[in-house]
Parts: sequence; C-alpha cells; structure tokens
Amino acid sequence: MSEFRRQHPIAAVARALALIKGNLVTIIVLLVVGSRGGEASVIWWIAGGFITLLILGIISWWRFLYKIEDGQVHIKRGLFVRQNMYLTRDRVQVIDITAGVLQRMFGLVKVEIKTAASSSREATIDAISRADAEIITEKLKKNNGSTVEAGNEDEVTETNRGITYHLPGKNLLVAASTSGSFGIALSVIGTVFSQAEPLISENEMYEWFLNVIPAETDLFLIITVIGVLVLFAWLMSFFGTLFSYGDFGLTVYNDELVITRGIFEKKRITIPFNRIQAIWIMEGILRQPFGYCSVHLESAGYGDSKGNGSILLFPLIKKKKLDPFLEKIVPEYIKSAPAQKPPQRAMRRYIFKSLLISAPVIAGLWWLFDASLWIWVLLIPAVFWGWLRYRDAAIGWDYDNIMISFRNLAKTTAVIKKTRAQDLHIEQSWIQKFRNLINVNLHVASGDQGRSFSVKELELSVSDYLERWIRKGDNSHSEDMKEKTQQSVPVWRGI
Amino acid sequence: MKKTPSKKLTPRAIRAWQWAAAGGNLFIFGIPALYVTFLGWEGIHFWVLLALIILTLSYYIAGIIFIPYIRWRHWRYEIDEHEIDLLRGVLIRRRTLIPLSRVQHVDTTQGPILRWYKLASVTISTAATTHEISALDEMIADHVRDTISTYARLAEEDV
Repeated sequence: MSEFRRQHPIAAVARALALIKGNLVTIIVLLVVGSRGGEASVIWWIAGGFITLLILGIISWWRFLYKIEDGQVHIKRGLFVRQNMYLTRDRVQVIDITAGVLQRMFGLVKVEIKTAASSSREATIDAISRADAEIITEKLKKNNGSTVEAGNEDEVTETNRGITYHLPGKNLLVAASTSGSFGIALSVIGTVFSQAEPLISENEMYEWFLNVIPAETDLFLIITVIGVLVLFAWLMSFFGTLFSYGDFGLTVYNDELVITRGIFEKKRITIPFNRIQAIWIMEGILRQPFGYCSVHLESAGYGDSKGNGSILLFPLIKKKKLDPFLEKIVPEYIKSAPAQKPPQRAMRRYIFKSLLISAPVIAGLWWLFDASLWIWVLLIPAVFWGWLRYRDAAIGWDYDNIMISFRNLAKTTAVIKKTRAQDLHIEQSWIQKFRNLINVNLHVASGDQGRSFSVKELELSVSDYLERWIRKGDNSHSEDMKEKTQQSVPVWRGI
Repeated sequence: MKKTPSKKLTPRAIRAWQWAAAGGNLFIFGIPALYVTFLGWEGIHFWVLLALIILTLSYYIAGIIFIPYIRWRHWRYEIDEHEIDLLRGVLIRRRTLIPLSRVQHVDTTQGPILRWYKLASVTISTAATTHEISALDEMIADHVRDTISTYARLAEEDV
C-alpha cells in the first residue's frame, strides 16, 4: 500500500447519500415549499438534485487518493484546491470504522481517522475493503507499528486478545425505552410537523382526524395532538437506540478500547487509552429509579456534527455493578473520593434558583391555557428539584484524579485526570461573597470546543485546595486532605 | 481564594475601553427607537419612553466614564513557571488557573483602537478553552507572550 490508491467507486454514491443525510431537514423543508409549484416540478427537483449530488460524489471520488507509509496516512483530495493531508500515528485520537447498509452490500467499510484538530472530520475514507481498513488501523496503532515482525505476529495478537463485554438483550430494551434522545426526536418531529402542518390542514386526513377524536374542547384536541407527538417521538428514539446500539460490544485490549455497535449500520470505534480525556456516568431521570446508569467518555478527536466529543462507552449498566466494571476497563480512574459537598447554607440558593427558573414557566402556562390556580402546585416539584441538585452536587479528588458530580435533569458524575484538566475556573458573584460560596468549573478537551464540568455553591475554602491541586508537582494539599478524609463520605457510593 | 495575582493591566487600557464602549454601546439606543416605532409616543408611552431614554443614556455614559475604570481596577494576572493566573470581573469575580503544560498556543492580537494606544491583547488557547489578557502595553504583551511560550515548552506534555 505504498503507492496512491483510489477508493472503491461506490464511494461516490456513499458521498452523495451522506450529503443528503446531512441536510435531511433542509431538504424536507425545501420539498414542502417546492411542492406548492405542482407535482411535476417536485419530481424534476428531486431528480436534478440527485444527479447533481451524484456528479459531485463522482468528482470527489476521482480526486480522492490515499497512501499509507511509515505509520502515516497521506490523503490527497479536493477539486479546485488540492489538499494534502498527512495523519501521523502520534496524533491519532480515535479510529472509527463504519459499515453502513450501502457499504455492507459490497463488503466494504468506511474509515474515519480523527485527530485533535477540527479538520479531522475531513479524513474520511468512504469505501475500502475491510482488509485494507484493518491494515490502516494496524499501522496507526501507537505502540504496534513496523517494529513487529511478521513471524511474531501470532504471538502479539495472542497476548493482545482482549475481553469483550456485551450488552444483554434485556438491558438493550431498557436502554432504548428510557433513552435520552427522546427530547431530540421530539424536537425533530416538531420541526417536521410545523412545516407539514399547512399541507395536512388542506388534506382530508385532517378532517377525518377531527371527526374521529371526540374533540369537545380545544384543550382536549391540544392534549391529544401532544400525546400522539410524544408517542411518536418515543417510538423514534426507541428504535433509533435499538438500531444504533444493538449488537453492542466493548472490547478491552492492552492499550486501547474497541466499541462495536449497530444492527444495520455497523460501527467500530477504536480509542487508545491515553487519548481518553474524561470518564463520566449519567443517571437519567427515567433510569435512576431503577438503579441504571450509562457510561460515557470524552475524547478530543471524536466529534459529531455539533462538535461534541462524547462517546457512549456502555449504554446501560446496573449501578451496583459499576465499580467492578470500571475497575476492569479503566483501573487508573478512581471510583470514590472524599467528598466536598455544598454546605447547608447553600441549599436555599439551590432551591431559590430552581424556583426562579420554574416560576416564569408556570406563570406562562397559567396565562396561556387559562388554567386554574392549582397549576401552582407544580412549584412543589420545583423545590424538590432544587433540593435534589443540592444533594447531588459534590467534588472530590486524590493526587491524580478529580471527581465531580452534579445534576441538571440527569445526574452526572465525572472523573478527570489532573493532566487532562485544561484549566480551573473559580467564580464568585457578589451575593456569594457574603455567603463565602464559590462555583467551580473544570474544562477538558472534547470534540472541537471542549466540555466543562461544574459544581455550584461550594465552600470558599475548597478553592484553596483546588488551586494547589492543579499546580504541577505541588503535593502539599494531600496532607491537608488527610484530615478531611476522616470526616467525609465517598462521592461515588455515598450519594 | 489564595492571594490575588500581582500584575495589573496597563492604565492606558481604560482609555481604549472608553472608546470601544463609546462605539460599541451605541446599539442600546435601539431600544427606545424600537419602542417609538412600534408603540408611538402618545399618552403613557411618552413617560415610558422618557424613562427608557434616561436609563439608556445613563447606562451609556456610565459605560464610558466609570465601567472601564472599575473593570481595570478588578483585572489582575500573574504568570509563573507552573501556571497562568487570571482574576477579573466586578459583580462576578472569575479566577482562572491554566497549568502551563496545557497551553497549546499563545497569540497577541491588536484591533485599531488598541493599536492607536500602542496596546495589544494576549490570547491563550488550551485544547478546550481560550482566554484573553486584554489590553497590555505592546512591549509587555510581547514579553508575556514569549514568557508563556517559553514556559509552555519547558512544561510540554502530550495531549
């Protein structure tokens, strides 16, 4: 593979489809707008658009050349501006192998090589054979390059064979039905619905719909429509999760993690251990009552369309089994630490803030739907929510790790290595100054933007410890912390 | 919090910020303008409008005369071989510590107003965030930038 090669021609189609998929909402909106010009024009629009995209795809396939040499991948691409990309072994953060439905028909895969730079999303080889993909992955592995001789290879793979964790079918169903992507699905449906609404109202369907449901009042109609939308969103997120996380496997090797998932579109993500920026677990509001949580990690190279660098490490696990699980996968991350919790006097600030957010929303609903005064009963869950946020906030650390837990809706607990904390940010408003309270904020690299983890309303003295903690080579805080350890509870298990 | 960082910004920063505020805060007069366009100035609207104009005008004037000065008084920074320490903010005090081993790159930038006053701001980027020491004397800014980049090289660690 030391000379330039072209991808499999099916890459042209894959590229065109990827363009369609990426702009799906825009295309639907355009089609709805365009359909007002009569049916014939719609067909022309679709056909013309698809042919244009296909031509674009063919050009990009023709101009795309790749080569692998001495642990680096060299990609040439671009029509007018010729781009030369060199990806070296030392800079690779994540390797992502996907076999979409299209690729699987031809026995091919898509390889995405992600570095910490934002241009990494460009380093995608759309269609090559699985064997070639294996060669690329092998060459780009950090400590496993050309030094391994052919004769030794069997031995290396023998010692390197990892342990695989699968997601049991029952857990997959639980994960799918309590999935957090529910809200996202709802917003997508909302967008489509609001665009499609003028079409539907002119339709006879709508009339039929109005006749079928016993629409005595407007309120009832609204509730029915919302109910149907919610059900739809739930089904979408249920099957979405089922398809993308079905057949889930997490394999632990000596120096990397490999995640395989997906039913129709098979995905394989390779993450070297030394590229993990943070580990966090999330207990969603639907999952926490049943004692379930999901495990995530942050990576600098991974990025979805929003530039967010989170990878789902394990979709669903009983919290009781979490400790031994993490011990096997990421042993160097701490599982518990002496907790610094917000003091008692911070509780009312938490509750006050949650009232401040929810009161206008309730007032709005009250006014909008002309509801009875009983709607103000909703303030009780708001107080409870504030109290929960107070109860779940904590921070704790040892010499190498810091552990942060907080709640927005779902409770999140993150563990970050000291060397991965990009900066420490401490904030005090003038009201907090009277109460000797502070907010703490820690950034880690993730995707393009980085991600921050924060705990609010901590004791002022915590900032002293944290400031010393982040200083390189400063060990003095561990002495102070010894006393604290005696009195405090572990973050992870205690809450 | 531990002792405050020792260095202050160059006092000329106040002048530069005053000019920036004089230009940049003009948009707030859009609020009374919009009010007139949509609601007119008959009856009660006249008094509301008057209050709005007084409020925006006093904010505009305070924004030029006092706020840059107060902002300058509250801005501190310090750089040593371990970390960069920034302290700023009037109502909300913000303290940022950046270990030097996390610094990815450091730039100095200069807009037209800063250039007129021979000032420059230093921008420090980590893998996750970007921070700015705004409005230092050109010479000091260059020195700060070089110091940070020297220390950062010494403290080099892999991302």
